[in-house]
Amino acid sequence: MEVVESALADIAVRDRTLNCFTAVTADRARAEAAAVDAAVAAGRDPGPLAGVPVAAKNLFDIEGLTTLAGSKIERDKPAAARDTFVLRRLRAAGAVPVGALNMDEYAYGFTTENHHHGPTRNPHDPGRIAGGSSGGSAAAVAAGLVPLSLGSDTNGSIRVPASLCGVFGLKPTYGRLSRGGAYPFAASFDHVGPFARSAADLALAYDAAQGADPDDPAQQWREPAPASPLLDSGIGALRIAVADGHFARNGHGEAFAAVAAAARALGATARVEVPEAARGRAAAFLITMAEGGNLHLPDLRTRPDDFDPMTRDRFLAGALLPASWLLQAQRVRAAYRARVLPLFEEWDLLLTPATPYVAPRIGQDTVEVDGEAVPVRPNLGVYTQPISCIGLPAMSVPLVDPGAAGAPGGLPIGLQLVAAPWREDLLFRAARALERAGVAGSPTPPR
Amino acid sequence: MSSTPPDPSAFDAEAYARAAAAALGLPLDPRHRPGVAANLRLAARMAAAVEGLPLAPADEPAPVFVAGRNAPG
Repeated sequence: MEVVESALADIAVRDRTLNCFTAVTADRARAEAAAVDAAVAAGRDPGPLAGVPVAAKNLFDIEGLTTLAGSKIERDKPAAARDTFVLRRLRAAGAVPVGALNMDEYAYGFTTENHHHGPTRNPHDPGRIAGGSSGGSAAAVAAGLVPLSLGSDTNGSIRVPASLCGVFGLKPTYGRLSRGGAYPFAASFDHVGPFARSAADLALAYDAAQGADPDDPAQQWREPAPASPLLDSGIGALRIAVADGHFARNGHGEAFAAVAAAARALGATARVEVPEAARGRAAAFLITMAEGGNLHLPDLRTRPDDFDPMTRDRFLAGALLPASWLLQAQRVRAAYRARVLPLFEEWDLLLTPATPYVAPRIGQDTVEVDGEAVPVRPNLGVYTQPISCIGLPAMSVPLVDPGAAGAPGGLPIGLQLVAAPWREDLLFRAARALERAGVAGSPTPPR
Repeated sequence: MSSTPPDPSAFDAEAYARAAAAALGLPLDPRHRPGVAANLRLAARMAAAVEGLPLAPADEPAPVFVAGRNAPG
Protein backbone atom coordinates (compact mmCIF):
# COMPACT_ATOMS: atom_id res chain seq x y z
CA MET A 1 0.00 0.00 0.00
CA GLU A 2 2.82 2.42 0.86
CA VAL A 3 4.44 1.85 -2.51
CA VAL A 4 1.21 2.57 -4.36
CA GLU A 5 0.42 5.64 -2.21
CA SER A 6 3.88 6.98 -2.86
CA ALA A 7 3.48 6.45 -6.62
CA LEU A 8 0.08 8.17 -6.63
CA ALA A 9 1.49 11.16 -4.73
CA ASP A 10 4.47 11.39 -7.06
CA ILE A 11 2.25 11.21 -10.15
CA ALA A 12 -0.05 13.92 -8.77
CA VAL A 13 2.85 16.35 -8.45
CA ARG A 14 5.31 15.53 -11.22
CA ASP A 15 2.95 14.50 -13.99
CA ARG A 16 1.61 18.07 -14.18
CA THR A 17 4.80 18.81 -16.08
CA LEU A 18 5.47 15.50 -17.81
CA ASN A 19 1.91 14.73 -19.00
CA CYS A 20 2.42 10.98 -19.10
CA PHE A 21 -0.95 10.03 -17.64
CA THR A 22 -4.36 10.52 -19.23
CA ALA A 23 -6.14 8.90 -16.27
CA VAL A 24 -5.10 7.87 -12.77
CA THR A 25 -7.13 5.07 -11.20
CA ALA A 26 -6.33 5.95 -7.58
CA ASP A 27 -9.34 4.34 -5.88
CA ARG A 28 -8.88 1.10 -7.71
CA ALA A 29 -5.14 1.13 -7.05
CA ARG A 30 -5.68 1.59 -3.30
CA ALA A 31 -8.22 -1.24 -3.20
CA GLU A 32 -5.96 -3.62 -5.11
CA ALA A 33 -2.89 -2.67 -3.06
CA ALA A 34 -4.90 -3.39 0.09
CA ALA A 35 -5.80 -6.80 -1.32
CA VAL A 36 -2.11 -7.53 -1.92
CA ASP A 37 -1.32 -6.51 1.66
CA ALA A 38 -4.12 -8.76 2.89
CA ALA A 39 -2.76 -11.68 0.89
CA VAL A 40 0.67 -11.21 2.45
CA ALA A 41 -0.84 -10.91 5.94
CA ALA A 42 -2.76 -14.14 5.36
CA GLY A 43 0.42 -15.94 4.35
CA ARG A 44 -0.55 -16.32 0.70
CA ASP A 45 1.98 -15.85 -2.11
CA PRO A 46 1.11 -12.44 -3.59
CA GLY A 47 3.10 -13.09 -6.78
CA PRO A 48 6.42 -11.89 -8.18
CA LEU A 49 5.06 -8.38 -8.86
CA ALA A 50 3.31 -8.00 -5.50
CA GLY A 51 2.25 -4.39 -5.00
CA VAL A 52 4.24 -3.09 -7.98
CA PRO A 53 2.50 -0.08 -9.57
CA VAL A 54 2.02 -0.51 -13.30
CA ALA A 55 0.48 1.78 -15.91
CA ALA A 56 -0.65 1.05 -19.47
CA LYS A 57 -0.74 3.01 -22.72
CA ASN A 58 -4.31 4.17 -23.18
CA LEU A 59 -4.98 1.81 -26.08
CA PHE A 60 -5.14 -1.05 -23.56
CA ASP A 61 -8.54 -1.79 -22.06
CA ILE A 62 -8.56 -0.85 -18.39
CA GLU A 63 -11.74 -1.82 -16.58
CA GLY A 64 -13.87 1.24 -15.86
CA LEU A 65 -12.01 3.56 -18.28
CA THR A 66 -12.89 4.33 -21.87
CA THR A 67 -10.11 3.08 -24.14
CA LEU A 68 -8.98 6.23 -25.95
CA ALA A 69 -6.10 5.02 -28.11
CA GLY A 70 -4.92 8.62 -27.98
CA SER A 71 -8.01 9.90 -29.75
CA LYS A 72 -10.87 12.31 -29.24
CA ILE A 73 -13.19 10.08 -31.28
CA GLU A 74 -13.14 7.19 -28.81
CA ARG A 75 -14.16 9.45 -25.90
CA ASP A 76 -17.79 8.74 -26.82
CA LYS A 77 -17.37 5.00 -26.31
CA PRO A 78 -18.40 3.10 -23.17
CA ALA A 79 -15.88 2.17 -20.52
CA ALA A 80 -14.03 -1.12 -20.88
CA ALA A 81 -15.74 -3.99 -19.08
CA ARG A 82 -12.47 -5.72 -18.18
CA ASP A 83 -8.73 -5.28 -18.37
CA THR A 84 -6.72 -6.19 -21.43
CA PHE A 85 -5.23 -9.71 -21.37
CA VAL A 86 -1.65 -8.74 -20.52
CA LEU A 87 -2.81 -6.42 -17.74
CA ARG A 88 -4.87 -9.26 -16.28
CA ARG A 89 -1.72 -11.37 -16.35
CA LEU A 90 0.32 -8.70 -14.56
CA ARG A 91 -2.42 -8.32 -11.94
CA ALA A 92 -2.41 -12.07 -11.39
CA ALA A 93 1.29 -11.68 -10.57
CA GLY A 94 0.44 -9.03 -7.98
CA ALA A 95 0.93 -5.80 -9.96
CA VAL A 96 -1.38 -2.88 -9.21
CA PRO A 97 -2.62 -0.79 -12.16
CA VAL A 98 -2.49 2.94 -11.39
CA GLY A 99 -3.58 4.53 -14.67
CA ALA A 100 -3.56 5.06 -18.41
CA LEU A 101 -0.78 6.68 -20.43
CA ASN A 102 -0.55 9.18 -23.26
CA MET A 103 0.31 8.16 -26.84
CA ASP A 104 0.19 9.30 -30.45
CA GLU A 105 -3.35 9.16 -31.77
CA TYR A 106 -4.23 5.57 -32.74
CA ALA A 107 -0.49 4.81 -32.32
CA TYR A 108 0.37 6.45 -35.66
CA GLY A 109 3.47 8.41 -34.70
CA PHE A 110 6.86 8.33 -33.03
CA THR A 111 6.64 11.48 -30.90
CA THR A 112 3.56 11.58 -28.57
CA GLU A 113 2.85 15.17 -29.54
CA ASN A 114 -0.82 14.39 -29.00
CA HIS A 115 -3.10 17.20 -30.19
CA HIS A 116 -5.98 16.29 -27.86
CA HIS A 117 -4.08 15.68 -24.62
CA GLY A 118 -0.89 17.65 -25.23
CA PRO A 119 2.64 16.33 -25.66
CA THR A 120 4.29 14.00 -23.19
CA ARG A 121 7.55 15.61 -22.11
CA ASN A 122 10.88 13.86 -21.86
CA PRO A 123 11.89 13.55 -18.18
CA HIS A 124 15.49 14.33 -19.16
CA ASP A 125 14.50 17.60 -20.85
CA PRO A 126 10.86 18.74 -20.75
CA GLY A 127 11.39 20.74 -23.95
CA ARG A 128 11.92 17.53 -25.86
CA ILE A 129 9.65 14.72 -26.97
CA ALA A 130 9.43 11.41 -25.14
CA GLY A 131 9.22 9.52 -28.43
CA GLY A 132 6.24 7.44 -29.41
CA SER A 133 3.83 6.16 -29.90
CA SER A 134 4.14 4.70 -26.37
CA GLY A 135 5.60 8.00 -25.11
CA GLY A 136 3.68 8.11 -21.85
CA SER A 137 4.74 4.53 -21.10
CA ALA A 138 8.45 5.26 -21.57
CA ALA A 139 8.45 8.65 -19.84
CA ALA A 140 6.50 7.42 -16.80
CA VAL A 141 9.07 4.70 -16.22
CA ALA A 142 12.05 6.95 -16.97
CA ALA A 143 10.79 9.53 -14.48
CA GLY A 144 10.28 6.86 -11.82
CA LEU A 145 6.53 7.51 -11.61
CA VAL A 146 6.02 3.74 -12.02
CA PRO A 147 8.61 0.95 -12.24
CA LEU A 148 6.76 -0.90 -15.01
CA SER A 149 4.50 0.01 -17.90
CA LEU A 150 2.91 -1.55 -20.95
CA GLY A 151 3.12 -0.24 -24.50
CA SER A 152 2.55 -1.39 -28.03
CA ASP A 153 4.94 -1.49 -30.97
CA THR A 154 3.87 -1.66 -34.61
CA ASN A 155 6.91 -0.05 -36.23
CA GLY A 156 9.00 0.93 -33.23
CA SER A 157 6.53 2.42 -30.77
CA ILE A 158 8.12 0.67 -27.76
CA ARG A 159 11.76 0.78 -28.88
CA VAL A 160 11.83 4.42 -30.04
CA PRO A 161 10.50 6.03 -26.84
CA ALA A 162 12.57 3.60 -24.73
CA SER A 163 15.71 4.88 -26.48
CA LEU A 164 14.76 8.56 -26.21
CA CYS A 165 13.78 8.30 -22.52
CA GLY A 166 16.61 5.97 -21.45
CA VAL A 167 14.70 2.86 -20.37
CA PHE A 168 14.55 -0.78 -21.40
CA GLY A 169 11.74 -1.68 -23.81
CA LEU A 170 10.90 -5.09 -25.22
CA LYS A 171 9.10 -5.85 -28.47
CA PRO A 172 8.71 -9.61 -28.33
CA THR A 173 8.38 -11.91 -31.33
CA TYR A 174 5.21 -11.24 -33.36
CA GLY A 175 2.62 -13.60 -31.94
CA ARG A 176 4.28 -14.08 -28.53
CA LEU A 177 2.16 -11.86 -26.25
CA SER A 178 -1.59 -11.54 -26.64
CA ARG A 179 -2.97 -8.32 -28.02
CA GLY A 180 -6.44 -9.20 -26.77
CA GLY A 181 -8.12 -6.08 -25.42
CA ALA A 182 -5.63 -3.71 -27.03
CA TYR A 183 -6.92 -1.25 -29.64
CA PRO A 184 -5.35 -2.26 -32.99
CA PHE A 185 -3.39 -0.07 -35.39
CA ALA A 186 -1.95 -2.28 -38.17
CA ALA A 187 -2.75 -5.86 -37.25
CA SER A 188 0.03 -7.29 -39.46
CA PHE A 189 2.62 -5.69 -37.18
CA ASP A 190 0.94 -4.96 -33.85
CA HIS A 191 2.89 -6.20 -30.82
CA VAL A 192 2.59 -5.42 -27.11
CA GLY A 193 5.41 -5.34 -24.58
CA PRO A 194 6.80 -3.91 -21.34
CA PHE A 195 9.08 -1.04 -20.27
CA ALA A 196 11.30 -1.05 -17.17
CA ARG A 197 14.47 0.51 -15.76
CA SER A 198 16.40 -2.77 -15.55
CA ALA A 199 16.65 -6.00 -17.50
CA ALA A 200 15.51 -7.94 -14.42
CA ASP A 201 12.35 -5.87 -13.97
CA LEU A 202 11.64 -6.08 -17.68
CA ALA A 203 11.97 -9.88 -17.49
CA LEU A 204 9.54 -10.07 -14.56
CA ALA A 205 6.93 -8.14 -16.55
CA TYR A 206 7.54 -10.15 -19.72
CA ASP A 207 7.33 -13.45 -17.86
CA ALA A 208 4.09 -12.46 -16.15
CA ALA A 209 2.51 -11.23 -19.40
CA GLN A 210 2.90 -14.55 -21.24
CA GLY A 211 -0.05 -16.87 -21.67
CA ALA A 212 -2.39 -18.15 -24.35
CA ASP A 213 -5.39 -16.04 -25.28
CA PRO A 214 -8.02 -17.18 -27.78
CA ASP A 215 -8.98 -13.52 -28.32
CA ASP A 216 -5.80 -12.74 -30.31
CA PRO A 217 -6.04 -14.27 -33.80
CA ALA A 218 -2.30 -13.81 -34.44
CA GLN A 219 -0.98 -15.21 -31.19
CA GLN A 220 1.07 -18.41 -31.48
CA TRP A 221 0.05 -20.60 -28.60
CA ARG A 222 3.43 -21.69 -27.32
CA GLU A 223 4.50 -22.82 -23.89
CA PRO A 224 5.52 -19.89 -21.69
CA ALA A 225 9.24 -19.19 -21.96
CA PRO A 226 10.23 -17.21 -18.86
CA ALA A 227 13.35 -15.07 -19.24
CA SER A 228 14.11 -14.42 -15.57
CA PRO A 229 15.69 -17.81 -14.84
CA LEU A 230 18.11 -17.31 -17.77
CA LEU A 231 18.94 -13.69 -17.10
CA ASP A 232 22.35 -14.31 -15.57
CA SER A 233 23.41 -17.07 -17.96
CA GLY A 234 25.92 -14.70 -19.53
CA ILE A 235 26.70 -14.39 -23.19
CA GLY A 236 29.19 -17.29 -23.20
CA ALA A 237 29.62 -18.48 -26.74
CA LEU A 238 26.87 -16.35 -28.25
CA ARG A 239 27.75 -15.15 -31.73
CA ILE A 240 27.05 -11.44 -31.87
CA ALA A 241 27.45 -9.15 -34.89
CA VAL A 242 26.91 -5.49 -35.65
CA ALA A 243 24.38 -4.76 -38.40
CA ASP A 244 25.91 -2.89 -41.31
CA GLY A 245 24.52 -1.12 -44.38
CA HIS A 246 21.14 0.49 -43.66
CA PHE A 247 21.94 0.29 -39.92
CA ALA A 248 25.29 2.05 -40.31
CA ARG A 249 23.72 5.03 -42.13
CA ASN A 250 20.76 7.34 -41.57
CA GLY A 251 21.71 8.50 -38.07
CA HIS A 252 23.86 10.73 -35.90
CA GLY A 253 27.11 9.80 -34.17
CA GLU A 254 25.54 9.01 -30.81
CA ALA A 255 23.38 6.28 -32.35
CA PHE A 256 26.45 4.49 -33.71
CA ALA A 257 28.47 5.20 -30.57
CA ALA A 258 25.83 3.38 -28.54
CA VAL A 259 26.19 0.34 -30.79
CA ALA A 260 29.99 0.53 -30.64
CA ALA A 261 29.96 0.65 -26.83
CA ALA A 262 27.76 -2.44 -26.67
CA ALA A 263 29.83 -4.22 -29.32
CA ARG A 264 33.02 -3.63 -27.32
CA ALA A 265 31.45 -4.95 -24.14
CA LEU A 266 30.01 -8.01 -25.86
CA GLY A 267 33.11 -8.74 -27.93
CA ALA A 268 31.24 -8.30 -31.20
CA THR A 269 33.69 -7.50 -33.96
CA ALA A 270 31.98 -8.80 -37.11
CA ARG A 271 29.71 -6.62 -39.25
CA VAL A 272 26.90 -8.16 -41.27
CA GLU A 273 24.54 -6.75 -43.84
CA VAL A 274 20.83 -7.22 -43.17
CA PRO A 275 19.71 -7.77 -46.77
CA GLU A 276 16.97 -5.53 -48.15
CA ALA A 277 16.40 -3.74 -44.83
CA ALA A 278 15.39 -0.47 -46.53
CA ARG A 279 12.91 -2.33 -48.73
CA GLY A 280 11.54 -4.10 -45.65
CA ARG A 281 11.00 -0.71 -44.08
CA ALA A 282 9.20 0.49 -47.21
CA ALA A 283 6.94 -2.57 -47.11
CA ALA A 284 6.11 -1.92 -43.45
CA PHE A 285 5.38 1.72 -44.26
CA LEU A 286 2.82 0.82 -46.94
CA ILE A 287 1.14 -2.02 -45.05
CA THR A 288 0.82 0.14 -41.93
CA MET A 289 -0.64 3.02 -43.89
CA ALA A 290 -3.17 0.82 -45.70
CA GLU A 291 -4.28 -1.15 -42.65
CA GLY A 292 -4.55 1.97 -40.51
CA GLY A 293 -6.48 3.84 -43.18
CA ASN A 294 -8.90 0.99 -43.68
CA LEU A 295 -9.43 0.55 -39.93
CA HIS A 296 -10.51 4.17 -39.52
CA LEU A 297 -12.36 4.61 -42.80
CA PRO A 298 -15.83 4.95 -41.20
CA ASP A 299 -14.67 7.88 -39.04
CA LEU A 300 -12.59 9.35 -41.88
CA ARG A 301 -15.78 9.50 -43.93
CA THR A 302 -17.90 11.19 -41.31
CA ARG A 303 -15.69 13.17 -38.91
CA PRO A 304 -12.20 13.73 -40.33
CA ASP A 305 -11.74 16.93 -38.36
CA ASP A 306 -11.99 15.01 -35.09
CA PHE A 307 -8.70 13.26 -35.90
CA ASP A 308 -5.41 14.66 -34.68
CA PRO A 309 -3.99 16.78 -37.52
CA MET A 310 -0.74 14.82 -37.05
CA THR A 311 -2.41 11.57 -38.13
CA ARG A 312 -5.45 12.52 -40.21
CA ASP A 313 -3.86 13.04 -43.61
CA ARG A 314 -1.81 9.86 -43.30
CA PHE A 315 -4.88 7.82 -42.46
CA LEU A 316 -6.80 9.43 -45.33
CA ALA A 317 -3.97 8.68 -47.76
CA GLY A 318 -3.64 5.16 -46.38
CA ALA A 319 -7.29 4.44 -47.10
CA LEU A 320 -6.66 5.35 -50.74
CA LEU A 321 -3.59 3.21 -51.50
CA PRO A 322 -3.84 1.00 -54.59
CA ALA A 323 -4.37 -2.66 -53.65
CA SER A 324 -1.32 -3.70 -55.67
CA TRP A 325 0.95 -1.52 -53.55
CA LEU A 326 -0.32 -3.27 -50.44
CA LEU A 327 -0.09 -6.78 -51.86
CA GLN A 328 3.34 -6.17 -53.34
CA ALA A 329 4.45 -4.97 -49.92
CA GLN A 330 3.08 -8.13 -48.28
CA ARG A 331 4.92 -10.29 -50.81
CA VAL A 332 8.13 -8.31 -50.30
CA ARG A 333 7.67 -8.73 -46.56
CA ALA A 334 7.75 -12.52 -46.94
CA ALA A 335 10.66 -12.42 -49.41
CA TYR A 336 12.61 -10.09 -47.11
CA ARG A 337 12.03 -12.45 -44.18
CA ALA A 338 13.36 -15.35 -46.28
CA ARG A 339 16.55 -13.38 -46.90
CA VAL A 340 17.06 -12.32 -43.28
CA LEU A 341 16.32 -15.50 -41.31
CA PRO A 342 19.43 -17.36 -42.61
CA LEU A 343 21.55 -14.72 -40.82
CA PHE A 344 20.53 -16.38 -37.57
CA GLU A 345 22.17 -19.64 -38.59
CA GLU A 346 25.46 -17.77 -38.24
CA TRP A 347 24.59 -15.20 -35.59
CA ASP A 348 22.64 -15.34 -32.35
CA LEU A 349 22.25 -11.61 -31.91
CA LEU A 350 22.51 -8.48 -34.03
CA LEU A 351 23.29 -5.02 -32.67
CA THR A 352 21.75 -2.00 -34.37
CA PRO A 353 21.01 1.56 -33.35
CA ALA A 354 17.58 1.99 -31.74
CA THR A 355 16.95 5.57 -32.84
CA PRO A 356 18.92 7.74 -35.26
CA TYR A 357 19.39 10.53 -32.69
CA VAL A 358 18.54 11.68 -29.19
CA ALA A 359 15.12 13.19 -28.46
CA PRO A 360 14.28 16.12 -30.77
CA ARG A 361 12.59 19.24 -29.45
CA ILE A 362 8.80 19.26 -29.21
CA GLY A 363 7.50 20.69 -32.48
CA GLN A 364 10.74 20.13 -34.40
CA ASP A 365 9.98 19.20 -38.00
CA THR A 366 13.31 18.44 -39.64
CA VAL A 367 16.77 17.23 -38.70
CA GLU A 368 19.96 16.99 -40.71
CA VAL A 369 21.12 13.44 -41.44
CA ASP A 370 24.00 12.57 -43.74
CA GLY A 371 24.00 16.18 -45.00
CA GLU A 372 20.29 16.25 -45.88
CA ALA A 373 17.33 17.75 -44.05
CA VAL A 374 14.91 14.90 -43.34
CA PRO A 375 11.51 14.91 -41.60
CA VAL A 376 12.30 14.22 -37.97
CA ARG A 377 9.23 12.19 -37.02
CA PRO A 378 9.03 9.31 -39.54
CA ASN A 379 12.82 9.00 -39.55
CA LEU A 380 12.75 8.05 -35.85
CA GLY A 381 11.67 4.55 -36.92
CA VAL A 382 14.39 4.03 -39.50
CA TYR A 383 16.08 1.23 -37.51
CA THR A 384 13.11 -0.31 -35.75
CA GLN A 385 10.71 -0.61 -38.69
CA PRO A 386 12.76 -3.15 -40.71
CA ILE A 387 12.87 -5.42 -37.63
CA SER A 388 9.18 -5.39 -36.64
CA CYS A 389 8.28 -5.80 -40.32
CA ILE A 390 9.29 -9.45 -39.97
CA GLY A 391 8.34 -9.89 -36.33
CA LEU A 392 11.85 -10.44 -34.93
CA PRO A 393 12.14 -10.00 -31.16
CA ALA A 394 14.03 -6.83 -30.28
CA MET A 395 14.94 -4.85 -27.20
CA SER A 396 15.89 -1.22 -26.80
CA VAL A 397 18.69 -1.06 -24.23
CA PRO A 398 19.67 2.36 -22.80
CA LEU A 399 23.25 3.54 -22.33
CA VAL A 400 23.84 4.23 -18.65
CA ASP A 401 26.11 7.19 -19.50
CA PRO A 402 25.00 8.60 -22.85
CA GLY A 403 27.17 11.69 -22.40
CA ALA A 404 30.28 9.51 -22.46
CA ALA A 405 29.18 8.22 -25.87
CA GLY A 406 28.88 11.77 -27.15
CA ALA A 407 25.11 12.13 -26.92
CA PRO A 408 24.28 15.85 -27.16
CA GLY A 409 23.52 17.26 -23.73
CA GLY A 410 23.97 13.81 -22.22
CA LEU A 411 20.45 12.98 -23.40
CA PRO A 412 19.44 9.31 -23.37
CA ILE A 413 20.09 7.02 -26.31
CA GLY A 414 19.68 3.28 -26.63
CA LEU A 415 20.75 0.51 -28.93
CA GLN A 416 18.66 -2.28 -30.38
CA LEU A 417 19.33 -5.98 -29.74
CA VAL A 418 17.74 -8.29 -32.32
CA ALA A 419 17.39 -12.09 -32.18
CA ALA A 420 15.81 -14.91 -34.16
CA PRO A 421 12.09 -15.50 -33.69
CA TRP A 422 11.21 -16.82 -30.19
CA ARG A 423 14.69 -16.10 -28.79
CA GLU A 424 13.77 -13.28 -26.43
CA ASP A 425 15.92 -15.09 -23.84
CA LEU A 426 19.04 -14.06 -25.76
CA LEU A 427 18.00 -10.40 -25.71
CA PHE A 428 17.65 -10.55 -21.93
CA ARG A 429 20.98 -12.30 -21.43
CA ALA A 430 22.81 -9.72 -23.53
CA ALA A 431 21.01 -6.80 -21.87
CA ARG A 432 21.97 -8.15 -18.46
CA ALA A 433 25.57 -8.63 -19.60
CA LEU A 434 25.62 -5.00 -20.77
CA GLU A 435 24.34 -3.87 -17.38
CA ARG A 436 27.04 -5.88 -15.63
CA ALA A 437 29.68 -4.40 -17.94
CA GLY A 438 28.59 -0.91 -16.90
CA VAL A 439 27.39 -0.04 -20.40
CA ALA A 440 23.62 -0.34 -20.05
CA GLY A 441 21.33 1.13 -17.44
CA SER A 442 18.58 3.63 -17.06
CA PRO A 443 20.10 7.08 -16.50
CA THR A 444 18.45 9.09 -13.72
CA PRO A 445 16.72 12.22 -14.99
CA PRO A 446 17.15 15.54 -13.19
CA ARG A 447 14.46 16.28 -10.55
CA MET B 1 9.34 -11.61 -64.66
CA SER B 2 10.89 -8.20 -64.25
CA SER B 3 9.20 -4.99 -65.12
CA THR B 4 10.10 -1.34 -64.89
CA PRO B 5 9.28 0.05 -61.45
CA PRO B 6 6.87 2.98 -61.54
CA ASP B 7 8.29 6.48 -61.66
CA PRO B 8 6.93 8.26 -58.55
CA SER B 9 7.52 11.67 -60.13
CA ALA B 10 4.99 10.82 -62.86
CA PHE B 11 2.27 10.23 -60.26
CA ASP B 12 -0.43 12.93 -60.06
CA ALA B 13 -1.28 12.39 -56.39
CA GLU B 14 -4.04 15.03 -56.16
CA ALA B 15 -5.94 13.69 -59.15
CA TYR B 16 -5.52 10.14 -57.90
CA ALA B 17 -6.74 11.12 -54.42
CA ARG B 18 -9.89 12.71 -55.84
CA ALA B 19 -10.70 9.69 -58.00
CA ALA B 20 -9.93 7.04 -55.38
CA ALA B 21 -11.81 8.93 -52.67
CA ALA B 22 -14.87 9.03 -54.89
CA ALA B 23 -14.64 5.27 -55.42
CA LEU B 24 -14.56 4.77 -51.65
CA GLY B 25 -17.33 7.24 -50.87
CA LEU B 26 -14.80 9.21 -48.85
CA PRO B 27 -15.49 12.96 -48.88
CA LEU B 28 -12.11 14.69 -49.15
CA ASP B 29 -12.20 18.18 -47.70
CA PRO B 30 -10.19 20.57 -49.90
CA ARG B 31 -8.28 21.63 -46.75
CA HIS B 32 -7.00 18.06 -46.35
CA ARG B 33 -6.05 17.46 -49.98
CA PRO B 34 -2.50 18.89 -49.93
CA GLY B 35 -1.56 16.76 -46.90
CA VAL B 36 -3.16 13.67 -48.39
CA ALA B 37 -1.34 14.21 -51.68
CA ALA B 38 1.99 14.69 -49.90
CA ASN B 39 1.49 11.41 -48.08
CA LEU B 40 0.51 9.65 -51.29
CA ARG B 41 3.66 10.92 -52.99
CA LEU B 42 5.73 9.52 -50.11
CA ALA B 43 3.83 6.22 -50.40
CA ALA B 44 4.57 6.17 -54.12
CA ARG B 45 8.29 6.35 -53.37
CA MET B 46 7.89 3.44 -50.93
CA ALA B 47 5.90 1.53 -53.56
CA ALA B 48 8.68 2.05 -56.09
CA ALA B 49 11.11 0.60 -53.53
CA VAL B 50 9.07 -2.56 -52.98
CA GLU B 51 8.46 -2.94 -56.70
CA GLY B 52 12.21 -2.90 -57.19
CA LEU B 53 12.61 -6.34 -55.63
CA PRO B 54 12.20 -9.09 -58.23
CA LEU B 55 9.62 -11.63 -57.07
CA ALA B 56 8.65 -15.06 -58.38
CA PRO B 57 5.08 -16.38 -58.55
CA ALA B 58 5.90 -18.53 -55.51
CA ASP B 59 6.54 -15.39 -53.44
CA GLU B 60 3.16 -15.28 -51.72
CA PRO B 61 1.95 -12.45 -49.47
CA ALA B 62 3.16 -12.75 -45.87
CA PRO B 63 -0.24 -13.20 -44.14
CA VAL B 64 -1.30 -16.85 -44.25
CA PHE B 65 -4.95 -17.71 -43.73
CA VAL B 66 -5.68 -20.58 -41.34
CA ALA B 67 -9.00 -22.37 -41.75
CA GLY B 68 -9.16 -23.31 -38.09
CA ARG B 69 -7.00 -23.95 -35.07
CA ASN B 70 -7.40 -25.60 -31.71
CA ALA B 71 -8.05 -23.31 -28.78
CA PRO B 72 -5.19 -23.07 -26.30
CA GLY B 73 -5.40 -25.82 -23.72
